[in-house]
Amino acid sequence: MEIAYYPGCSLQQSSSLYDHQTRMIFSRLGVELKEIEDWNCCGATSAGKVDDFLAVVMPARNIGIAESAGFTEMVIPCSACYSRTIVAQKRMQDNPELRDEINSGLTAKIKGSIRISTIMEVFLNHVSPDLIKQKLTHKFRGLKPVCYYGCMQTRFPYNVPASDNVENPQAMETLLKLFGIRALDWNYKTYCCGASAAVNDPDTALNLMAKIMKEAAARGANCFVTTCPMCQMNLDANQEAFCKKHDIKERLPVYFITELAGAAFGISPEDMQVDRHFIDSMTLLKELEQNEHKDK
Amino acid sequence: MTASVLEFSPENTRPFLQEVMEQSGQMLTACYQCRKCAAGCTVGDETGSFTPNILIRAIVLGDRETALNNELIWKCVSCYTCGTRCPNDIQTARITETLKKMAKKAHVQPVLPKVAAFHDAFVESGMRWGRLNEMEFMGVYELKNALREAKTKNYETVVKEFKTQAELGLAMLKLKRLHFGFLFSKGRGEIKALYRKNRYKQALKAKRG
Ligand code: SF4
Ligand code: SF4
Repeated sequence: MEIAYYPGCSLQQSSSLYDHQTRMIFSRLGVELKEIEDWNCCGATSAGKVDDFLAVVMPARNIGIAESAGFTEMVIPCSACYSRTIVAQKRMQDNPELRDEINSGLTAKIKGSIRISTIMEVFLNHVSPDLIKQKLTHKFRGLKPVCYYGCMQTRFPYNVPASDNVENPQAMETLLKLFGIRALDWNYKTYCCGASAAVNDPDTALNLMAKIMKEAAARGANCFVTTCPMCQMNLDANQEAFCKKHDIKERLPVYFITELAGAAFGISPEDMQVDRHFIDSMTLLKELEQNEHKDK
Repeated sequence: MTASVLEFSPENTRPFLQEVMEQSGQMLTACYQCRKCAAGCTVGDETGSFTPNILIRAIVLGDRETALNNELIWKCVSCYTCGTRCPNDIQTARITETLKKMAKKAHVQPVLPKVAAFHDAFVESGMRWGRLNEMEFMGVYELKNALREAKTKNYETVVKEFKTQAELGLAMLKLKRLHFGFLFSKGRGEIKALYRKNRYKQALKAKRG
């Protein structure tokens, strides 16, 4: 099956490993991701802080492109891009005047309501559990992840129905269970990592990240799993800094869900570019792989 | 007769409250100060107890000065926890977003100038090319910061900031997480034109009152 794919700016730059993994994993599962033509920046959270109209127009153009190309569903792996796009769609549905105003200037007009999905929705709605079980080559019994969802997957500033439980989402846990990996329960799965505050207000952001890290370590986790490139980058690139600031001894890899999927399917960490993390993330996967072989 | 400590004058209070309610689309008068938002606020520990409910109280009382000059509107990370938990569906994040815009219009110096500079630079860059080029954007943003700090002869801050960014940049380079190609979208003209048209419309509307 074919789904429109909006990578967004970060998946083409600092988080291009996530783009690479996403395409690779889904093609193995028979889901063809078709990147939409000439997409533009969604404006992220910044647009809403600068101009309300812009915050709708930027993601709106991408919706128009996907719809005009005949797609009925578009997947957006980046949580910020996903959130901005689904909110823009909702605002145009609630306000036809706004939609008409935007359509008046777009080549690819917005028509109806294309389904905008997170990467987890594609996993759980379009891939059969049987197919996943068939693909499994590894079990990774030693993996003790905490699933970190961050803010943008379930909480919206407008009345948009969330795809998962708002305070206690389960999508990643459900998928990991299919891989035979049991995630730990914890309290900080939807807590904010600070997002862009890591750049413009680091004092605040480092304190927020330290809270997340402390709870994960206290629960005995040996890694984080996330779907958001912003969360991944923040917890990974700043880990030395916030751990030093807050006297935390542990260091934990911050995996994309696609990396654990790949590992479970027997794709080598190198092929998935897991060596592009700031905190060493290769060792844990390699160790688990070896232990797995010993078990046999 | 001595002046009373609390002066509440509806003539002055209402216009400001009305303005914030209209622009943010939030029914602030529905707030009954239950503090659920405060309990969940991500940056609650960072704002010196200036929590979302207090911001709302200030606006309802017409205290424009406090509403535009506080840590919360600049530290708010738009995590939307407050709005998810509010029993009256008030999205404080949309109020902090509105107040940022109002502060800019009124030329009020932001409590955290870097935050304002960041979002401006982000949107400018995304609009200029149609896609955000991370390196170009970070360069423009850091330059703006450096210029501002240099104006007040705050050279130490400039050097420290450049050092931090250079270290991060180097680490990213090693991990191949810097992108050297240039991203753009041909459709950026459509967005710019729509944006300009809407700005013009808004200005006309404001003139007519
Ligand atoms: S949760 Fe809502 S009603 Fe309660 S104090 Fe906050 S804004 Fe007011
Ligand atoms: S959106 Fe802002 S005000 Fe609301 S809980 Fe998050 S940080 Fe606090």
